Amino acid sequence: MPRWDWNEIHWGEMTMSDPNDDRQRNETRHTASGAPASLDRRQLLGTLGGVAFVGLSKPAAAEPGAPAQVTDAPLSALTQERIPFHGLHQAGVTTPRPAAGMIASFFVLAETREDLERLFRTLTARIAFLTQGGPQIDPDPKLPPAGSGILGPVVPPDALTVTVSVGASLFDQRYGLAPFKPKRLQQMPRHPNDALDAALCHGDLSIQFCANTPDANIHALRDIIKNTPDLLVLHWKQEGSVPPIPASNDGPPESARNFLGFRDGSANPDSANTALMDRIVWVQTASDEPAWAAGGTYQAVRIIRNFVERWDRTPLQEQEAIFGRVKSTGAPLDGGRSEHDVPDYAKDPQGARTPLDAHIRLANPRTPQSEANLILRRPFNYSNGVTKSGQLEMGLLFICYQADLERGFIAVQKRLDGEPLEEYIKPIGGGFFYTLPGVRDEQDWLGRTLLQARA
Amino acid sequence: MTTHPSRLMIRVAAILTLGLGAGTVLGAVSPLELVAPVADYKLYVAENSRKLVTDVRNFTAAVKAGDIEKAKQLFAPTRMSYERIEPLAELFSDLDSAIDSRADDHEKAEQDPAFGGFHRIEYALWVEKSTKNVGPVADKLLANVVELQKRLTALTFPPEKVVGGAAVLMEEVAATKISGEEDRYSHTDLWDFQANFEGAYKIVELLRPLVAKQDQAFADKTDANFKVVFDTLQKYRTPEGGFQTYEKLTDRDRKLLAGRVNTLAEDLSRLRGMLGLN
Repeated sequence: MPRWDWNEIHWGEMTMSDPNDDRQRNETRHTASGAPASLDRRQLLGTLGGVAFVGLSKPAAAEPGAPAQVTDAPLSALTQERIPFHGLHQAGVTTPRPAAGMIASFFVLAETREDLERLFRTLTARIAFLTQGGPQIDPDPKLPPAGSGILGPVVPPDALTVTVSVGASLFDQRYGLAPFKPKRLQQMPRHPNDALDAALCHGDLSIQFCANTPDANIHALRDIIKNTPDLLVLHWKQEGSVPPIPASNDGPPESARNFLGFRDGSANPDSANTALMDRIVWVQTASDEPAWAAGGTYQAVRIIRNFVERWDRTPLQEQEAIFGRVKSTGAPLDGGRSEHDVPDYAKDPQGARTPLDAHIRLANPRTPQSEANLILRRPFNYSNGVTKSGQLEMGLLFICYQADLERGFIAVQKRLDGEPLEEYIKPIGGGFFYTLPGVRDEQDWLGRTLLQARA
Repeated sequence: MTTHPSRLMIRVAAILTLGLGAGTVLGAVSPLELVAPVADYKLYVAENSRKLVTDVRNFTAAVKAGDIEKAKQLFAPTRMSYERIEPLAELFSDLDSAIDSRADDHEKAEQDPAFGGFHRIEYALWVEKSTKNVGPVADKLLANVVELQKRLTALTFPPEKVVGGAAVLMEEVAATKISGEEDRYSHTDLWDFQANFEGAYKIVELLRPLVAKQDQAFADKTDANFKVVFDTLQKYRTPEGGFQTYEKLTDRDRKLLAGRVNTLAEDLSRLRGMLGLN
């Protein structure tokens, strides 16, 4: 059972400002350079997340002004960044992506509906605590500590979001949930270029952790594992990161680069546009999905290995033709100066400027029909070690969200099947999941609408 | 033939040597209350180490006689006495590594000259299908278990090691056994699981009156989890009283076992503190 009833947590002592008031928080936030921030949340998280602790130097602990020491901790101005937990939707989907992400997939061991409810209630309580932060108290040193302690005795929120989604296998015979399976939820199929490793695929439940530092994600994962030993067994996990870019006040935000050196995220739909997100990402009450699913979304995860040595030996113009963008600026090949310029494929029907099989042209042909296939991408780069052949094992932890999995990721991936980029990439894992609706208030819990659904 | 001291003598010895400076005590358990369970556990270890010596003598004789079939039959049951008392046997790290190390504990794996003990012989029986290289390994294994028995007899059992031993066994299964990597050539892992669980359960059983006094719900939950673990393994029993090979374990049962083992490890990690031990 969770040690912390989240009703008992005293947010106030820890909170710099009301965690539910974004406006107020942003007014009190300061940037890495020390200047008061008038940036909005999106800019703050999107462009500064992860930068602050690189750029600051720190005087030694004991004496102000004493020289910094090699083992002084790097500084972050963002550890008190707090993303509200309660809401119509779970956080971590349209929330601006911080520097560190992780997907962990689990088998659910619950044997009854009651156990399953206990799992969801436990997850709710742990996530409420972890994302809002607070002290973890160890009353008896003879007992194991309540948590790992890797973030110290007072857990900082560090912009942590924890997003819970369920796989198609949770709707098998075990819990009698089959009638309530989201209509488009299915086990991720193999595409022609995939080399899927069963040890990296699927799962009953996925948890996405995102925070300013990988440590906050690891802390949260360990906390959840410790509090659910009879309910969850870890199946696979993949961590990733996003490279920060220098803070800049002029011009629109830029997308981060992937491990192929190209900007990834250009032309993503505007996640601050609520109406757009309601159309592209969030399942609506008036859809053909089961009523319980309203407010949720489909999550597609792909672990895509990049053959980076080979890529780095590929001529620049070929790399750019494969992607359909200028590598340095991110501008489309048919003109423009930045990634925000929109290619005009109608003027290039033969693919003279942007090849017809360029990645961005296949992924989003920008036709009236392909409007229905828009997805919200939220990827991280991953780096795992060395393959048996002595090459780098790295690539993209691709994550995307959409209200319709079939018209979203599946349709886009079908268009991409056979693209020239495939020579340099190999999807090896991932899965399809349904992200549960949000936890609305203190009485609510993750998965409640699903477990209370009646045929 | 070895004789073992009477239960009474062990209890007296334990009272004299427990130290009993356990410091602040969590609940109402007095260190003196641990004397009886610790003494009983010492008897359990003595029985098992005696049986280990007998079984290893038969096992190594078969190996040295080149009787591969007989040696293969004896391998898994022989190991059980060792696996039951592993938390105490491990206190002697030189012997534990000589008796029970795995190939990947050694730089050159199976080809490493320092790779000996049970698993080197297992490799000879199931992979090399020959005992011609392992005669000296068999001699050394026997000598080491005889030495282990001698040292265990002389050992004053530290109560925190006894009480903590239940959790240690669970951590071992959870971290390095549930995957089937322990008996990777013979796939007799389920025998080891059974023995590890029996060894852990013995400790819990001996401590149950004290635990129940502290936290009845904890005692009940632990019993229930052990029951699931034993029931799950029971499904893989053969008519002869042994176990099917590890590959027969279904994915679902492996995960179920992993979950129960994790839960037991989590719960039993509180046992020492609950009984006021450091």
